[in-house]
Formats: sequence, structure tokens, C-alpha cells
Amino acid sequence: MAGLLERKIAIVTGAGKGLGAAVAQAYGAEGATVIVSDIDTHSAKQVADAIPNASAVPCDVTSPEQVEALVDHAVNLHGRLDVMVANAGVANISPLAQMSYAQWREVTSVNLDGVFLSIRYAAPAMIATGGGVIVNMCSITAQAAVPLIGNYAAAKAGVMSLTQTAAIELRPQGVRVNAILPGFIDTDMVKAHKRQFEELLNLPDFDAVIAQKQGRYGTPEEVARLAVFLASDRSRFSTGSAFVLDGGARASLL
Amino acid sequence: MAELEGRRALVTGAAQGLGRAIATLFVERGAQVMLADVDEQGAERAAAELGDRARSVRCDVTSSADVQGAVQAAVDAFGGLDVVVNNAGVEVVKPLVDQSEEEFSRLMDVNVKGVFLGIKHSVPALAAAGGGAIVNMSSLAGVGGAPLFGSYGAAKAAVIQLTRTAAVELRQAGIRVNAVCPGFVGTAMVDRLIPTVEAAVGVPFGDLIALKQGRLGTVEEVAEMVAFLASDDASWATGSHYLLDGGLSASLL
Repeated sequence: MAGLLERKIAIVTGAGKGLGAAVAQAYGAEGATVIVSDIDTHSAKQVADAIPNASAVPCDVTSPEQVEALVDHAVNLHGRLDVMVANAGVANISPLAQMSYAQWREVTSVNLDGVFLSIRYAAPAMIATGGGVIVNMCSITAQAAVPLIGNYAAAKAGVMSLTQTAAIELRPQGVRVNAILPGFIDTDMVKAHKRQFEELLNLPDFDAVIAQKQGRYGTPEEVARLAVFLASDRSRFSTGSAFVLDGGARASLL
Repeated sequence: MAELEGRRALVTGAAQGLGRAIATLFVERGAQVMLADVDEQGAERAAAELGDRARSVRCDVTSSADVQGAVQAAVDAFGGLDVVVNNAGVEVVKPLVDQSEEEFSRLMDVNVKGVFLGIKHSVPALAAAGGGAIVNMSSLAGVGGAPLFGSYGAAKAAVIQLTRTAAVELRQAGIRVNAVCPGFVGTAMVDRLIPTVEAAVGVPFGDLIALKQGRLGTVEEVAEMVAFLASDDASWATGSHYLLDGGLSASLL
């Protein structure tokens, strides 16, 4: 059976590990030609090496020049860009009242500026060839707070807003823009901060809170399946929307 | 992906429009489908066109006995039930003060109670199969207000709320529950309301749609989203309502 993304040229930012790597792998399996981008050249190359036809391009998404060069790479190598997954993201932990400006900027520059730049440079390339799809990796923290990651949540709320504006502005040119809002996923990013959540929030067991709220951790592969659907023609009427994927976490007030 | 090979599904309101498109895509993707509709002959005809993986049953979703009967018909025909699409619905599109009490009650009966009964009576069969997926048809009118859509929107908002609670209550049983919220889609239902909407908004319907959502959606596009949520590709999606509106709700203008 033909893949859902045959002949599509796709960039995935932050694809050296975690969600981004899973999305790149799923896109490759569906027939897309994937450009695996990450600030960490080595991990990008490792992921790309395991995907047929994929290439690795280092990119710091906070740099306009580097994001522009990333899009140029796709267009120069493959003649066009069909899909941009603005996935690159970072997190750090602090109550707002103690958060340093550096902590604020680290997260907002990657998670929000990076998405703006990805849209900014991907959209013109897509318009030039008649359209495309942008998938922004957002988060359920765009809709409700999680203590200690106010910077992350604010940036993700900004990503949702960018998704909406871009969707409306780019609709006439055939570019669709949607956001995926995952709950807590089994990734290094979440694992790295579990202990801090437990200590600072005085929680005996972070995993138990997750189990109560969302049944279990989601997997990167599950997020990747939604990212495939949103990049494919099967979702061609969807734009500007928030796709919550969280095992029911947002559905319950309790 | 989104393949439904071996899945046994029940789709309500399947004689025409959206429900029929959902049943058609499900069969295409490998599912066996019980087409339920209050229009018995319509459901029979639609099922006959889909071949031997489709059957039909008469079902008024406001009747517990009918909904239980439809679930049983699917279980008897296919040996079990994995997917339920609570799609049956009616519309009342007029200013609130012009709606009769009877119209309001009928709307709530079909669009809200019908979904409640669809969840309530299918859960035992879904649980017996080791889990499954329920997809409820809500609407963009369920997430935002619009003139003429007051009662319809209230009913569709209720569907979202039922979806959330059912998702959380049924998570342990391995049953996922999600909703789909389409904007304006090219169906007989939308055709019927064009003159009313034009009169109320004062803009030609085509212009309104072009401005708000680019174009009309198609029933096939809605069916794709239902198929995604019904499939294992959506294994971590539950309690969500996925919009499908060409960007309508993303913009204030």
C-alpha cells in the first residue's frame, strides 16, 4: 500500500530525539522525504541515517538565518517544501517568582520565536509551489496551567495563537496550519524534570499524578500518528485547529 | 494508516449524508458496518450498495429499545462490536424566540439523548470486545454561538460534555470517546438552511462561506476524521473534540 505522504518533502525541527524523531520516522515510513533538523548535529544525523532518503541539517530555530537556510536546503535539494513540523522545544523548571530572565528567554526563544521563524520561512516556499502543511507542536499547557513551567505554557499558548493567525492568513494560498496539543509524553524532556516536580510541588509520586489525570504517559509514536494525519490529504479541510491528544487529561476537571 | 480491518462498527443516522459517508469509508478501510437509521428503507438501500460487509437496522436513537436492538444486531451479525459512531441528528435553525417547545424537546431528544443512549447501550458490547472507540458527532455550533443555531448549538455543546465525561469514566475499560465538530459541510441539512441563514445574516451564503471557512467541507473529509479517531492511530486520543472547519473558528472576523 502506498504511504500517506508519498512524494512529500518534509522538514521536522528538533528531530534529533523524542517527539521530533518519532515524527521524522513516521513520515519516512509513509513515504515522505524527510529533512531531519536539530541543533545537535550528531543526533540529527543518527536519526536521518535510519530513514530512507532522509538528510540531516543542523539548525538552531532561534536564528532567522539558520531557519531560512534550512528551508533553502529543502528547496534547493528537492525543488520544494510540502510539510514543516515546527517541533523543536525546550523546558526548564522554576516558579515564576524565582524564574530568571534567562530561563524565560531560553524557553520562549526556542518554543515561540522558533515556531514564528519556522512559519515565516516555510510559508513563502510552500506558497511558491501551490501550498503545503505546517504542523506546530503545541501542548495542553497552552490551555491550562502546570505549576513550575509558566514560561513553557506561555510560549505554547503563543504557538496556538500563531497557528490560528497563520491558518487564516495562508488559507487563500493553500497552506494549512494546525497544532498538536499533547499531554505528558514519555520523553527525555519529561523524565528529566520529574524529580524537580516531585520536590518543588511536594508530590510523593509524579507518575501517580499522571496515571490519575491521563491514564498513562502517551508515546512519541502516538503523537507521530496524529502528525501524519495532519500532514496528509486526509485532513485537508482542517486548519487553524487545536488537536488535543492527552488520554483524557483535559476532559476532566478533577 | 487509519485502517479499520476487522473492526465491527455501528453508525447511526447512516441512511444518508454524513452517516452514509462514514459507513462507506469504514467499509473501504476494511470494517464491517451496521447502518442504523430511523429511515429503515434508506438504511437498507445504503447497506445494499456497500456490499456484504454492511447490514442495516431500523433505529430511532431516542428509544432505548431501538438503540439496544441496533447494538444487538451488530453483535449478532459480526460477532461483536468495536466502534460506535453516534451520528444521528436533526436540526432546528431559527431564532430562539421562534422555536416551539416541541421543536426544542425533539432536538434535545435526538441530538443529546440519542448520544447518551448510544454511549450507554454500546458500552457493554464494547467492553466485552476488550475495549473500543466511540465517536460522537458534535458541531462547530457546539463550541461557539451563532444566530439561528441556539438550540442546535446547545445540543452539540452537550455532546462535547458527554464525550468528556464518558472518556474519563470509560478509560479503564479501554474505551476511547471523542467528538468531531465540523463547520459547514455540503449536506442536505446545510442546503435546507441556506435561505434562513441568508435572511438572518444578510449576506449571500456562498460569500459567507468563502469568507469564514474558504469553502464548504465535504462529508468525505468529515468521514476521514471519524475514521482516524476510530482507528488505533488515535490510541491516545480520548475526551477530545476535533474541529474541522477550514479555519472558521480560528478567526474573530
